[in-house]
Amino acid sequence: MTTGDKIIFALPKGRVLDDGVAMLAQVGIAPEAAFFDKDSRQLRFTTNRADVDLIRVRSFDVATFVAFGAAHAGIAGSDVLLEFEYAELYAPLDLGIGVCRLVVAEPESVKATDDPLRWSHVRVATKYPNLTRRHFAARGVQAECIKLHGAMELAPALGLCRRIVDLVETGSTLRANGLVEVETIAEVSSRLVVNRVALKTRPVEIGALVDSFTEVVRGQAA
Amino acid sequence: MASETSKALLPAGLADDLPPDADIEAEVIGALMATFRAHGYERVKPPLIEFEESLLGGPGAALAQQTFRVMDPQSQRMLGVRADMTVQVARIAATRLRQRARPLRLSYSGQVLRTRGSQLRPERQFSQAGFELIGSASLEADVEAILLAAEALRGARTTHLSIDLTLPHLVGVLAADRGIVGPRLDQLRDALDRKDAAALALVAKDDPDRAFGRLLEAAGPVDDALAAIKAIALPKEVSDIVDAASALVALARPHLGDLLLTLDPTEYRGFEYHTGISFSVFARGVRGELGRGGRYVLENGEPATGFSVYLDSLRRALPARVGGGLVFVRASAGFDRCQQLHAEGWRTVRGFDDAADAKAEAARLGCTHYFLDGSVHALDDAGRKQSGKR
Repeated sequence: MTTGDKIIFALPKGRVLDDGVAMLAQVGIAPEAAFFDKDSRQLRFTTNRADVDLIRVRSFDVATFVAFGAAHAGIAGSDVLLEFEYAELYAPLDLGIGVCRLVVAEPESVKATDDPLRWSHVRVATKYPNLTRRHFAARGVQAECIKLHGAMELAPALGLCRRIVDLVETGSTLRANGLVEVETIAEVSSRLVVNRVALKTRPVEIGALVDSFTEVVRGQAA
Repeated sequence: MASETSKALLPAGLADDLPPDADIEAEVIGALMATFRAHGYERVKPPLIEFEESLLGGPGAALAQQTFRVMDPQSQRMLGVRADMTVQVARIAATRLRQRARPLRLSYSGQVLRTRGSQLRPERQFSQAGFELIGSASLEADVEAILLAAEALRGARTTHLSIDLTLPHLVGVLAADRGIVGPRLDQLRDALDRKDAAALALVAKDDPDRAFGRLLEAAGPVDDALAAIKAIALPKEVSDIVDAASALVALARPHLGDLLLTLDPTEYRGFEYHTGISFSVFARGVRGELGRGGRYVLENGEPATGFSVYLDSLRRALPARVGGGLVFVRASAGFDRCQQLHAEGWRTVRGFDDAADAKAEAARLGCTHYFLDGSVHALDDAGRKQSGKR
C-alpha cells in the first residue's frame, strides 16, 4: 500500500481530543504509542490499521485540512464548520461529544442598560469573525470583529470592546469575569467531517468509515 | 531591483502561465475540442464581454456576484465580462441559431474571469471548455453527455476518474409531495448539501418513513445507491426520476470501462438551474470537481444538456508530461534538416555557434537529444542533470 492510498484522519487538539480518541478506539482504530507520548514532536501517526494514519492539529485546522483534501476525514466542531462554511466538507454525523454553546456575552453592567433593538453597530471580540458578522447582519446589525485567539473574557474588562462571542461549556469562566450570556448563536457539538472528493472517489472505504462511526454513535444513544 | 519585483506582482488570483504549463494547457484543450468535434459538435466563439442583462439573465443570475462589470463608453450601457461561457452558448442557440436543425451540438472554449476566488479555488481567471446538446429531451442525449465527457477527459490523459450522478430535481419534487416549502425547503437542501444528518433530522422530523434521511444515506456506488433508493416508498413522480436514472446507467455503463460511477440523489449546490439528470466528474486526490454537466432548460423552453470543464482543476489532475523529444541541431545542418526531424515527430532547437560542443549546448538549453553526424543522439541523464535546468 502506498502512502497516497492511506486514509488520513484528523483529530483536534484540546478539549475534544480524549473523547475523539475514545471514539476512534470504539471504531477499531488505535494510534501508535507515540501519539500518547507528551514529549513526542511527531505530528503524524500510524495506527493499528495499515490503511489509516492520524494527524493531530488545532481544532480550526481540522476543517481546513479536510476541506483541502490533505486529510480525508476528521472530527471538527460545528462552530468551526459554521465559521468556514467550506463547500468541500460533508458533516454526515453528530458525534455527540464536545457539546457546548456559542454565545454572545457582555458585562452585567452593560446588560442592565442595553437595548439590542437599537443597535446599528457592535464591536465584538471573537475567534469567529465570519460567523459573528453573519449572525448580526441577519438582524440588521453591522458587527466589527476583533479577532482574538483566546482569553476572550478579558476583552470587555480591559476596554477592548463591550461584547464577546465565544464558546461556553458551563459558564463559569464568564461568571468569573463578570460577564453574562445575552443570547445563544448556536448549539455546538463535534461532527465527523469528510472531504467531498474523497467520498465521491473512494465511496466504499470512506463510506465504511462513516458507517462504523454511525454504529458507535447509535450504540451510545441506545 | 525593487521596480522589477513590483512589476512581477500580479493581482490576487491571476498568474502568468510559463513553460511547460501553457503548452500543456493548450494541448489539453486541443484534445478536448478534438473529441467534441469528432462527435459532431461545432465550435462557437462568443465575445469576452457583452451586455450585462443578456449575460446575467435566467441561469446567468447565479453568476451576478462573480461577474466583473464595466461601463461601455460607446453605448453607455453596463457590460459584464463572462464568468462562465454556458450562458453565452445558450444565448447563441436561442437567437442566432434558432433556425438550425435540432438537436444542435455546439462546443466552446475560452477564458473566463471572476471577481472573487475562494480559499479552495483561488484562481480568478481560467480556461473553460465544454459542449451543449440542445433541443432533445431523449435519455440518449443524457447518455451522450456523460459518455462524451468521460471520453474527452480520458483523451486528456486524466486517470482515476469517477463520475457522480446527481438528481437535483428529485428533492424539490419529494419535498412538495411532503408539504415542505419556502424557508424550510432551503434548510432541507442546505442540510442535504452538507450531508448533515443531525440538521436533516431536525428539518424533516415529521417525515414518517425518514425518506430524506434514507436518500442521504443512499449516496455511494451506483448499484447500491439505486437499490437503496428503490427500497424507499416514493411517490410516482419521484420513482419516475429514479427509473430514468436506472435506465441511463444501464445504457451508459457498458461504455465507461473501469471508470467509477457513483450516485448522489440529493446533491443540489452548484446545480440550482439543472432540471434533470446531472453529473460531476472527479479525479481521485484532486481538489474540487474537474467539470460538471447535466440537463437544463433554455430560456425559450428548449430542453438541453451539456458539460463544462474548468482547466484550473483539470490541470491538477494531469500527470507530469513525459518529455517529448527536443533535439539540439546546429544551424549549419540546415533549416530543412529541422523540418525533416519534425516530420519524424521531434521538436528542434537551432544552435547558432558551430564551434560550441553540441552535447554541452543541448544540455545547457534543456534538450533531451542532440543531432550530430547525420543522426539523433540521446543526452544521457548525467548530461541533463549537469545542466541543472529543465
